[in-house]
Amino acid sequence: MEQSPARRVLSDFAANKVALAALVVIAVIVLLALAASLIAPQNPYDLAQLDIMDGRLPPGSASADGLTFWLGTDDQGRDMLSGILYGLRISLAVGAGSAIVAGIIGTALGLSAAYAGGRIEAAIMRLVDLQLSFPAILVALMILAFLGKGVVNVMLALVIVEWASYARTARSAALSERAREYIEAAECLALPRWRVVFRHLLPNCLPPLIVIGTIQVARAIALEATLSFLGLGVPITEPSLGLLIANGYQYMLSGKYWISFYPGIALLVTIMAINLVGDQLRDVLNPRLQR
Amino acid sequence: MTSHTGFLTTFAIVAASLGGMGDARAQGVQSQGAQSQGAQGAQGTPITVAVGAPVTSMDPHYHTLTPNEQAHTHVFERLVETDDKARLRPGLAESWKLIDDTTWEFKLRATNFHDGSPFTAEDVAYTIARVPTVLNSPGSFSIYINAISGVEIVDAHTIRLRTKGVYPLLPVDLSQVFVISHKLGPNPTTEDFNSGKNTIGTGPYRLVSYKNGDRIELDRNEAFWGEKPAWSHVTYRMISNEAARTAALLSGDVALIDSVPTADIAKLRTDSRMKLWETVSLRLIYIMLDQSRDGPTPFVKGPNGETLDKNPLKDRRVREALSIAINRPAIVDRVMENAAIPSGQFLPPGSYSYAPDVPPPAFDATRAKALLAEAGYPNGLTITLHSSNDRYLNDAKIVQTVGQMWSRIGIKTTVEPSPWTNFVGHANKQDYSTFLLGWGSSTGESSNPLRSLVATFDASKGRGAVNRARYTSPALDALIDKALVTVDDGAREKILMEGVRMVMADTALIPLHQQKNTWATKAGLTYVPRADEETRVFDLRPAK
Repeated sequence: MEQSPARRVLSDFAANKVALAALVVIAVIVLLALAASLIAPQNPYDLAQLDIMDGRLPPGSASADGLTFWLGTDDQGRDMLSGILYGLRISLAVGAGSAIVAGIIGTALGLSAAYAGGRIEAAIMRLVDLQLSFPAILVALMILAFLGKGVVNVMLALVIVEWASYARTARSAALSERAREYIEAAECLALPRWRVVFRHLLPNCLPPLIVIGTIQVARAIALEATLSFLGLGVPITEPSLGLLIANGYQYMLSGKYWISFYPGIALLVTIMAINLVGDQLRDVLNPRLQR
Repeated sequence: MTSHTGFLTTFAIVAASLGGMGDARAQGVQSQGAQSQGAQGAQGTPITVAVGAPVTSMDPHYHTLTPNEQAHTHVFERLVETDDKARLRPGLAESWKLIDDTTWEFKLRATNFHDGSPFTAEDVAYTIARVPTVLNSPGSFSIYINAISGVEIVDAHTIRLRTKGVYPLLPVDLSQVFVISHKLGPNPTTEDFNSGKNTIGTGPYRLVSYKNGDRIELDRNEAFWGEKPAWSHVTYRMISNEAARTAALLSGDVALIDSVPTADIAKLRTDSRMKLWETVSLRLIYIMLDQSRDGPTPFVKGPNGETLDKNPLKDRRVREALSIAINRPAIVDRVMENAAIPSGQFLPPGSYSYAPDVPPPAFDATRAKALLAEAGYPNGLTITLHSSNDRYLNDAKIVQTVGQMWSRIGIKTTVEPSPWTNFVGHANKQDYSTFLLGWGSSTGESSNPLRSLVATFDASKGRGAVNRARYTSPALDALIDKALVTVDDGAREKILMEGVRMVMADTALIPLHQQKNTWATKAGLTYVPRADEETRVFDLRPAK
């Protein structure tokens, strides 16, 4: 029996056990992050729940009121486990949120450029070139210096940094599809332009965009961590993974490794899992790599 | 001597390997240092040090800011200097005396400016005239020369300063004011001091270059009148990142760091390659509470974030509640790692005009809640506490901890630390409601913080120059006026102590702790830790 394309993709993807494991890891991380407020022993963002007298306790210590800090505490007496769970939530939300918004904007612009051609294409693509010629971190730093701190501003900065990659990918995919017969057929039917672009062109350009999307999520998470580490991201009382690492970094020399180490591991595992899945998706979705 | 020389070689190599010394003269000094060790020993040795707080200007009259003053002290001198315990000693003035109730006579030292021109009474008169004319000063030095009503040049090395009334503190005030050369002409600009054009002093070092926020390069003034500094060239780096500063010391990039991060103190204390130097400082860390508004203050809201019709901070009970909600010993122990002492007033115990009957406010959350309820806020308040995050030791951590403690008495607290330059700009404009600051009473007595921090703001009198909360109390102002005309040291001390009691009873501000000043150097060096926290490279010498 002929396999449907989605089934083929799934079975091809599952052929790689490492990628499958990575997908499971991502699912677990997302679940943990979503359930953070239910499973975390403490709300690390509520200053009233923190006690400075619990500051910098090593993993496994107990607080005065009987709570066990399995991964230790940071300098403010914040439970690291709770901090990581809540931090993951911010990191994933910022990463996925900015990747999706940037994806929508970038794809729409890229497709429009490819379909419209001419001046519109030139204008959009020069903007993309301009955007991509600046290092992402530099652009994000400038935007945040201008907008100020905050989760929403970080997402906005990441969207501005990321949309160009989608636009470029969408355009190149669309250019090769543009000449195909089905587009011509659609145009002959005098369908409205938007319908041709979004109902006929877009679905056929999706595979490379999905691959770019997963890679961009990982990139956005890393970028958010970098910005927070540099003190320009989230507020210090609501730390993301990057800020947790920054908080612990100054204690590295005095042997209190756990403040940076565990959030670092969480960040590493998250980004690695997303990248592994992205790699496998690329292999599966790229027709040239087909067996 | 061999180990000594080896150690010096290390410095020469370290300094030579550091980038950024593009200046030909600096290069010359380095190679001289490297070649001449055998013959001259310490004579030609460059050194690199790192300080935590960036210097905002090389204009010595621009900003009453310790990081600036400690840099300026290498290049410029004051008429009266202070020793490591903040006691007065002769500087550019060899001696001074009161010749009648309102006239001070200063005998000046025969020395030269870096450009070779002689230092005379004319330069002192020029300096006094220049101080109030500095444009856009974020913290004016006018407060220190305001008492002077007349200047009389007797001869090249004698100057008489007249004061409006009896004014015993003039030498203390002048120990804050750097003397510049009258050759600079009318209206020397701050920009020309930053570029080095105007930066001509009489001090132990000459300025080679100043790179804002990065480093200052200094060459030894071989004609300096006092004790000759040990180092021929100083690279004075600013590394505000605490971990990076410690790392620079550990890796041998720098020979001395100041404001040793509290997290690293314990480790450095046990490291035989390093030596720690510390002393209790004159710096108080405190929280200011907006008094400039009777109506709503921007960052104090009702329990559910609603705007209030008045400023709760004007109510003494609210101020006291905020103060006694803070567990000072906990902050000192956990955040400061004991590199501080809890404080209830401007100066540490043992200082002139320290009031022994004003202890640090005792932590009492129950009474704090009761006071809030009594003031009409039984359901608490919502407060945003502002601070810098790169200026005072652990500033961002302290406000988070204060936030915890305020939250416990029902005050929903968010904290917003931001870089100093941004923060202080807003604080100067009364944009904040509650904000953390520090004040180093560099004169070592209470008239300085009383006049600067809590006296009614009055630019023309130079009063309340950094009274950023705009606290005002006529009774206190009267007491300060009285202290300033009391010649007898004992009687004046009593009045100042009364002023301290008055400020603290009214909770005009919330004192937290007095920092301990810490420096770390490589082993084999001696350093003189100063109560006024100034980092002076000429106080750093090879151990005998």
